[in-house]
Amino acid sequence: MRQFLLFFRKEMLEMGRSFKWLWVPLVFLMLGIMQPVVTRFMPVILESSGNMPKGMTITIDPPSGMEVMAQTLGQFNSVGLMILVLSIMTLISGERQSGVSQMIFAKPVSYLSYAAAKWAIMLSLVTASFVLGYAGAWYYTVQMIGSVETAAALKAALLYMLWLWFTGSLTLFMSSLMNSAAGIAFVSLGAAILLSMASTWLPRYAYSPGFLPEISVQWLQASEKPTGDLGAAILCLMCMIFFFMIAAYQVKIRKSNV
Amino acid sequence: MDTINSSIPWSLIMPIIVLQLILAVVGLVSLYKAEAIRGPKWLWVIIILCGNILGSVAYFIIGRKDAS
Repeated sequence: MRQFLLFFRKEMLEMGRSFKWLWVPLVFLMLGIMQPVVTRFMPVILESSGNMPKGMTITIDPPSGMEVMAQTLGQFNSVGLMILVLSIMTLISGERQSGVSQMIFAKPVSYLSYAAAKWAIMLSLVTASFVLGYAGAWYYTVQMIGSVETAAALKAALLYMLWLWFTGSLTLFMSSLMNSAAGIAFVSLGAAILLSMASTWLPRYAYSPGFLPEISVQWLQASEKPTGDLGAAILCLMCMIFFFMIAAYQVKIRKSNV
Repeated sequence: MDTINSSIPWSLIMPIIVLQLILAVVGLVSLYKAEAIRGPKWLWVIIILCGNILGSVAYFIIGRKDAS
């Protein structure tokens, strides 16, 4: 436990020094705020964009608050997911390549607490960023668009956070397996996109973690509440534990690049 | 133009501008202090200043060399 706390403090310091604690939450907050603002001013933006024939009128039905929240989750799922993967991709592989991990494991330290600290810092970064962005989107939606159903929005946020946790775990797992940063980002983003795309043509009882973003959007929008969320959530947590175990083992057998 | 200006609630738009400014300023400060970066510094200054959010993010992800 003491070792874990030490490693965790080290990771915290490093994330602070590379400004990740600043720009990742900030980008999520901006993504969250932009969506309601852009939706609200769509008519004004179209009007002033210029190249429209005179006298042409466009009527856009104002979307409901829940719809805008669902669109925000869509933003998080494209730009947000990419930012997240890019910001944590070298968390394990970077130290292996620069020789830092070799120095650390010259002393008898526990591999599990090393990997656990990596996981803990990843989960805290993801959680802080998402909560900040979602809260910003919620506040702006209520201010500019309309009311948001509290219970459904909270449940959607919880399920969506699980999905982000899953993608983060996948990235760290890849980071423990591969050396090239571009390869890690490519494989983890590709796998995440494939999984969430597969949710459209896989049967619901397959319980893939890729269902989670779709289920959370449905919680916000659909009148009939979706099913299969519990199964997908449990499988997602199991996948995260599995990734963690293999990554800890990889840290043990591959201390350095040479 | 006046109608557009008056229809925008500036108190709600301001935070976006402020956040972008913070991001750009932090990016510039860290660029000024950085010893080793990928590519020439003046290019990153232009990218951060002109690229809105994406410019600063691109600098933090690609430009900084101390990945660990």
